[in-house]
Amino acid sequence: METIVELKNVTKVIKGRTIIDNISFQVNKGEVFGFLGPNGAGKTTTIRMIVGLIGITSGDITVGGSSIKSNFEDAVRHIGAIVENPEMYKFLTGYQNLIHYARMSKGISKEKIAETVELVGLTDRIHDKVKTYSLGMRQRLGLAQCLLHDPQVLILDEPTNGLDPAGIREIRDYVRLLAREKNLAVIVSSHLLSEMEMMCDRIGIIQNGRLIDVQLVHELVHGESKMTYEMEVVPSDKALTLLGTHYPNVRAHRSRNGITVELPKEEIPNLVKIFVSEDIQVFAIKEVAKTLEDRFLELTTEKGAPSRG
Amino acid sequence: MVNLIKNEWMKIFKRPGTYVMIAILIVIISIFGIFHKYQERQFNLDKNWEQTLHQENVALKKQMEQSNSKLEKQYYKEEIAINDYRIKHHLPFNEKYNVWSFVKDASQLIILAGLFTIIISAGIVASEFNWGTIKLLLIRPINRSKILASKYLTVLLFALLMLAILFAFSAVLGAILFGTPDHPVPYLKYANGQVTEQNIIVYLMIYYGLSSIDTIMLATMAFMISTVFRNSSLAIGLSLFLLFTGSQFTLLLSRFSWAKYILFANTNLMQYVDGTPMMEGMSMSFSVIMLLVYYVIFQLLAFLVFKKRDVAA
Repeated sequence: METIVELKNVTKVIKGRTIIDNISFQVNKGEVFGFLGPNGAGKTTTIRMIVGLIGITSGDITVGGSSIKSNFEDAVRHIGAIVENPEMYKFLTGYQNLIHYARMSKGISKEKIAETVELVGLTDRIHDKVKTYSLGMRQRLGLAQCLLHDPQVLILDEPTNGLDPAGIREIRDYVRLLAREKNLAVIVSSHLLSEMEMMCDRIGIIQNGRLIDVQLVHELVHGESKMTYEMEVVPSDKALTLLGTHYPNVRAHRSRNGITVELPKEEIPNLVKIFVSEDIQVFAIKEVAKTLEDRFLELTTEKGAPSRG
Repeated sequence: MVNLIKNEWMKIFKRPGTYVMIAILIVIISIFGIFHKYQERQFNLDKNWEQTLHQENVALKKQMEQSNSKLEKQYYKEEIAINDYRIKHHLPFNEKYNVWSFVKDASQLIILAGLFTIIISAGIVASEFNWGTIKLLLIRPINRSKILASKYLTVLLFALLMLAILFAFSAVLGAILFGTPDHPVPYLKYANGQVTEQNIIVYLMIYYGLSSIDTIMLATMAFMISTVFRNSSLAIGLSLFLLFTGSQFTLLLSRFSWAKYILFANTNLMQYVDGTPMMEGMSMSFSVIMLLVYYVIFQLLAFLVFKKRDVAA
């Protein structure tokens, strides 16, 4: 895996307040990196520092080996971005907007523009004024704008904000396609967990300006060796007391249909044997995958809370 | 750079407001022309114009002797020299009102061209912030100074276009309404103790150029305010207020010696070409230096702030 974007001890201080506190991470080619955090955690600030819209107080960011601080033009050449809503010139047509941005990078031909328009499916409406576009169409025009110069890194800040489910899905499929087929690195920020879970390979969780965790999505969700199982057992009271005597350190509680227990997988047959010998009826055992939401809340309360004081 | 200017030009001319401005300019020149046509008096060439000039010179000489002011003396001396030149070369002073007289009078409308330039200038940076498009503009592989410079050059080009429209349209309209003179009328210029003839079109172009200096300075100021405060209303309001009142204020303050350092005391460079300076101790080079100082301050402020700015909104 080849690293394309690298943040090294990036800190941002505005008027004595530390907005971003010593963040470091890397993003590789071909992966979708999610940037997750509650509102005001510093997602947008970090993204704006990567594209050079906001200065860096200390630390550095490199894109394709060039520093965004000292070598802005070379670094930003690799980036295509939508920062928040794709704001286009409403009084121009979609095509004129693209011409406008094409003139600002080197060597973008008319054919390339047409190809990009085709790719985002705007061919029919491209010569209409942008003010007549729907939000979804503007989002697609925004995508066309950032793909014009064949970037190696795509940065999307809250790309699904305000889109309907179909639009969200379109963006998601598109992002995955670009990462896989064009080997692009994609950085996406969002506070929508389900969205990130479906779109990303790796997720960085940010809170109060601090990067508290970076994990692969499937590790984050299925991360721990202990899994949670839901057991449909009758009577559940007796099952709980039995659990308490045999596994005193295991977390277990009563749930809707029986009990929920956190246990290593290899202990399950043993537990069933105990239940059966004690005349407890076992109807079903189900593995419960934690959602990203659970993990997110867990992480942000575990690691975030103490630092707040 | 050419591409960036093309972009800015496109953004100006794809908005209907720009065409409204040009239309207003043309309509007002037309009204101005018709107004002058109505006022045009029956023209008779004074048969004894040489006699009249002689008399005038005698009177001027008397005034010159009585005057204590150095500036006034200089003024009388120039008038007398020009009158002498006319008599010597048979150039009657009261020519028929013609196209060139009209073009010169139409230069009063430069303030209108200035107004439109200031509106464009005040919006060219601030609007990008208002529209939110600044974010997409600044993440291109072009450094910020270049982007700002292209915007400023576009403002200058726009000012040039407005002046060109004013000059060309008033020339065409003047030729239709007042006719062209039968023989070329030179402009008489007094410089370094000598009277010389100058082509009238060249003279008018210089006249337009020098009359536009306050416009350019104020457009630059509007550009600076627009860049620093990201607020086009403030930039338009302040600049237009100064455009219309600046010279009056300076006149009021002209009894103080420090008034010569005010921007507006120096914007009228015609005072050194056509007449006499408004205050003692002022010269063409003094004014040019003052203008440059103001200009550099405006530009430095705009560029430094724009380069350092965090685009957060």
